[in-house]
Amino acid sequence: MKTFLLITILVLIALWYLSFTATRLDRLHIRVENSWANLDVLLQKRAAVALEIARSDIADPASSLLLTGAAYQARDANIQQRSNAESGLSGALGLLLEDAQHLSTAADNVLLTELSELTDKIRIGIAIHTDAVTRTQMVRRKAVIRIFRLAGTAPLPITYEFESDVL
Amino acid sequence: MLTRSLKIGIVCPYSWDTPGGVQNHIRDLAEFLISAGHDVSVLAPAIDETLLPDYVTSAGKPISIPYNGAVARVLFGPVAFSRVRTWISEGDFDLLHLHEPAIPSISLLACWAGDGPMVGTFHAAAKRQKIIFAIGPILEPAIEKLSARIAVSEAARLTLTDHLDTDAVVIPNGIYAEKFKQGKPNIKWQGNTLGFIGRFEEPRKGLKVLMEALPVITRFAPDVRVLVAGPGDPQEILKEIDPQLRHRFEFLGRISEQEKADFMSSISLYVAPNTGGESFGIIVAEALAGGACVVASDIPAFDDLLGQGEFGALFGNEDSTHLAKVVIDLLRDVEKRKHLSIAGKARAKKFDWNVVAEQIFSIYEMAMVGSEKVKLATDTRSWNRFLSKDDKQ
Repeated sequence: MKTFLLITILVLIALWYLSFTATRLDRLHIRVENSWANLDVLLQKRAAVALEIARSDIADPASSLLLTGAAYQARDANIQQRSNAESGLSGALGLLLEDAQHLSTAADNVLLTELSELTDKIRIGIAIHTDAVTRTQMVRRKAVIRIFRLAGTAPLPITYEFESDVL
Repeated sequence: MLTRSLKIGIVCPYSWDTPGGVQNHIRDLAEFLISAGHDVSVLAPAIDETLLPDYVTSAGKPISIPYNGAVARVLFGPVAFSRVRTWISEGDFDLLHLHEPAIPSISLLACWAGDGPMVGTFHAAAKRQKIIFAIGPILEPAIEKLSARIAVSEAARLTLTDHLDTDAVVIPNGIYAEKFKQGKPNIKWQGNTLGFIGRFEEPRKGLKVLMEALPVITRFAPDVRVLVAGPGDPQEILKEIDPQLRHRFEFLGRISEQEKADFMSSISLYVAPNTGGESFGIIVAEALAGGACVVASDIPAFDDLLGQGEFGALFGNEDSTHLAKVVIDLLRDVEKRKHLSIAGKARAKKFDWNVVAEQIFSIYEMAMVGSEKVKLATDTRSWNRFLSKDDKQ
């Protein structure tokens, strides 16, 4: 009788732990989705600002062309090519900003301030997203989760490779 | 900034009625958010529940535990947990902001109980502690529920990455820089004066280091005076001072915020000899904003705050000989003092509440993307999902 009771309790604890871990993982997946949604919105906004800059007087025709191309590429890229395309856009913006700082007028300055504010936010957005992703990857490596397939069919989140130094 | 007004719940781990950096930070943040048109509720332990401002809800009486070289008044346990749960479910919050969620306190309980957009701010900077590794597995599932983490300094961020293997965005503590700019020099605090503000009885505030440096300093600057402000009993300290130097110390007791601003603009040098346990150093930021020339120990928080010596002079931690040398050099060099004080004033702008609150708010916005309001967490959510999925098919 005693052993039976003990086994029941152990099984119950095990079941609770499994359910707890599954919830934990589920929550992490949601966090990854949300942080990605946030980052995605910010990046889209940046592409829009980049297009506006390309149309303004800040950019000379050649860099305007480069910027427009990069911005469209970033907008249309699918998830695998996304980080590459965004890095391209960062590069194009970086090139332009290097020599635009001193010749811009007040109207252009609004655009540039908006861009630099966005850049700050994107940097934080990336940090938040990266943290969510690494945390999820870490939890998913746990043996319990692999053995009992607690992750279900959810794909393993991948780190967004963003070269933050070009931002 | 978001245009709609938000319902924000802030959890303070430490007793609201004991003075402390975290409590001050939460009070200022809450009042700033309220004045920006948001609906803020703060949950905090309190010894005397009748003295609370109307935005603070008491979670019960705190208990004292030793933590990080000081006594922390915190609260936990089943009764507190149920109060936290009630507060969350009745609050209908858009977002929870938990302060110091990694120590046993109502912040950790709220982190357990809540589900939805949650932001955590980590204040403490401590050396690697084995105990945290031991309780890590318990903390982790809770801490990872936070959608975004803020550390108040680089030192606090390193403490966090060391202990819990997770990263944070650094947003400094806020000060009302404008208020400190308007300080009027007071003649009785001027001259060759060294200022010190804080609970001087606590060893980690380092008044002792300054006391040990004084004999050397007086040899080179015979008219030097040390002005000490802050709560505490000066008799205990005076006993330890060489009788010949006792008259050089003036204890001002607790001073008001206005007096603090005047104090900072009057003294020659502000000395912060803290030996550790300091994460950000709000008083040093206030000294900079008030235009004081700062001399501080080179603990990581101050080193960071003073830009490795660009905005104030540093001396080797607990090295009173070095402190004496730095102080004497600066007392003799008016130009250098002026230079540091101007650089410091510019530096302090970064810590003004207008700047800091904007940064915190943009973290709130990011944390709220895609999530609904804060609810009570259930650990059976996956079952519910599993069951409702079956229903659909």
